[in-house]
Amino acid sequence: MALSTTVSQRKMIKRKAPRGFLKRVFKRQKPHLRLETSGDLLVHLNCLLFVHRLAEESRMNAYEAKCGVIKKEHVQAAAKVILKKSRG
Amino acid sequence: MVIVPRNPEFTTTAPGTSERVGNRTATPVRLCGSLAACRIARVGLNAAAGRRWRGLPEQLRDQMAEAMADSYSQDSEPTTRTLLRRVLDTADTRTPQRRRSARIGAQKSLLETPSSRRLSISTKTNARQRSQRARSIGRLAHVQISGHLEEQTPRTLLKNILLTAPESSIMMPESVVKPVLTPQVVQSSRQESSQSSLELQLPELEPPTTLALGPVAPGRRKRRLRLSVFQQGIDQGLPLSQEPHGNASASSLTSSLNLTFATPLQPQSVKRPGLARRPPTHRAVDVGAFLQDLRDTSLALASPGNSLRTPVATLPTDTVLEDTQPFSQPLVGHSPSVHHSLPHLFYTEAKDAEKAVGHRTQSTGPRLQNHSPGKPAQLLATKAKNFTMSFTNTIRAISGKDEVEPLQGGVSEEAEESMEVNLSVSKVKDTTGTQGSVRTEKSERHTEMTEAVEAKEPEGSSDEDISGRTASPELVSSTTEFLQARQLPFLESAPPPNTAILSSEQLEPLPTRLPPRARTLGPRPHQDPHKTGLNHYVKLFSFYARMPMEKAALEMVEKCLDKYFQHLCDDLEVFSTHAGRKTVRPEDLELLMRRQGLVNDQVSLHVLVERHLPLEYRQLLIPCAFSGNSVFPAQ
Repeated sequence: MALSTTVSQRKMIKRKAPRGFLKRVFKRQKPHLRLETSGDLLVHLNCLLFVHRLAEESRMNAYEAKCGVIKKEHVQAAAKVILKKSRG
Repeated sequence: MVIVPRNPEFTTTAPGTSERVGNRTATPVRLCGSLAACRIARVGLNAAAGRRWRGLPEQLRDQMAEAMADSYSQDSEPTTRTLLRRVLDTADTRTPQRRRSARIGAQKSLLETPSSRRLSISTKTNARQRSQRARSIGRLAHVQISGHLEEQTPRTLLKNILLTAPESSIMMPESVVKPVLTPQVVQSSRQESSQSSLELQLPELEPPTTLALGPVAPGRRKRRLRLSVFQQGIDQGLPLSQEPHGNASASSLTSSLNLTFATPLQPQSVKRPGLARRPPTHRAVDVGAFLQDLRDTSLALASPGNSLRTPVATLPTDTVLEDTQPFSQPLVGHSPSVHHSLPHLFYTEAKDAEKAVGHRTQSTGPRLQNHSPGKPAQLLATKAKNFTMSFTNTIRAISGKDEVEPLQGGVSEEAEESMEVNLSVSKVKDTTGTQGSVRTEKSERHTEMTEAVEAKEPEGSSDEDISGRTASPELVSSTTEFLQARQLPFLESAPPPNTAILSSEQLEPLPTRLPPRARTLGPRPHQDPHKTGLNHYVKLFSFYARMPMEKAALEMVEKCLDKYFQHLCDDLEVFSTHAGRKTVRPEDLELLMRRQGLVNDQVSLHVLVERHLPLEYRQLLIPCAFSGNSVFPAQ
């Protein structure tokens, strides 16, 4: 599958989806349910979007607080909003 | 002297410049396929330096003899004439390049002359005559590019040979010539002079380059040497005037140069230490600090929410850490056990990592790993108290696993060490006190394994206590070393993402318990792979954020991710049960995303898939039509 791609950022971001991890998490949470093969990819997509939104929100909070570093408070406030949004 | 051309068929070109011929200084040696000539020239160079003509002939003779012998290995008489004849026979009779025409002529003339001058080689006058003839030959060479040499001197002949020699043989002959040159000392003076004159150019050009190349890497040296040789070959005709001057120096240099030529052939690996693998340096000092950090982190992990997580996890890790205490002495013996126990410790600590404490530990953990032993010691000292207290609480909450005890002991031991390093006697006492209490508690709890475990505990604890207390400075150094050593195996053994997490968690100082650690690796804690997976998304978060983040913020992100996953699973369950299924299908996922607002009429799921997922996943998710009326994935 997709391997890590070098991004302009200094970090190397892996585009690989931790499919095993996702499956394990789902199994732990809902052992009576099953997850399809492609399902975990969509779950991964969902996680990506969630993390993306969370990061954007945290960045906004940090920027509004005129802080150059994202702090815990920013993340916390962002999490509140985003979790509520992604409750579905 | 009468010049009797030895080889009628031999057509030599007169040397280009008379001065070149006259000069005995070696010209860049370019033997045409005949290594002997090169050798001779080299030897001549070496021998010609500061030598009188009398000695030269002998040297040249020897050189030529050997050269001829090498080339032919037929003639029993190593005379100048025979040698030169051989050289001439083997020499290419091709016309040399224009710029070398002079030299070639000179070489050939030189080669031809020895035969006629064999008898008079030893005389000094002969040398003069040779030089004169060489000059005349040189002049003639100018006129006659291809023709008989009026005067055949060993020098001219050899020069011709050298000039006509293929360029490719330059490097080779040098290396090959060198071993031959040394034995060849006595040769005809003319040959020596000619050879030296021919070859001196090479050494002349070489020494400055080779000498300058001393500090340069051998690879560059080789390249530059080749270049120098090439340049020499090109400039053969030019620095002939420098030959006499360079003779004395060149001769001395040639030997060195010859040596230098040979040296490049030596394995460059020796000269490139950078390419050699260096064994990982293990410093005991770093290890000690690392372990102390581990204890601190483990203790910190143990303190919070142990009730929520399996408290057992902390104990084994603690014991593991504690065992690593006495690095000053039984480092080797403990190291293997520590290795086993440390991963344990990591896992257990990962489990117990309460976010409240993990917040601290993780922040301290990575820092501790990176900081010098002093810093982690300080951090550990600050947290030792909290950790010890938290550890005691955790110990009470322990359900009771044999692994826990040894880990606890290890952790407590490590905490002890850290304390000692900080020279905080009070803390040490506290830790010891807690250790004792912990041990007692442990012994009370576990019935079956306690005996075995505690049997180890007192041993380990006693050893560690004694060693730790008595050799605090030693511990510092040993621990640091051990830390380094451990860091490497840790990094290797534990999964990369885990190490970061685990180390941070381990650094939480565990309570001062020092029960003997179980050497066997127990079941992997739940946290480890879970943390790894979460870390994946945490990294993505930091990437999307594009801003520097605090470690606390990252931990917060982890918590959020946990909550998010819980919500996700719940929602999927609801959707699938609503659809009357027991399997979560992609439709459920799409519905979820639609409800989240990610997918709407403008943005479809496929668009999102194409946007965020790599190609391979896209192919799996989005049905695409292929040849043969097939669709993949099948709908």
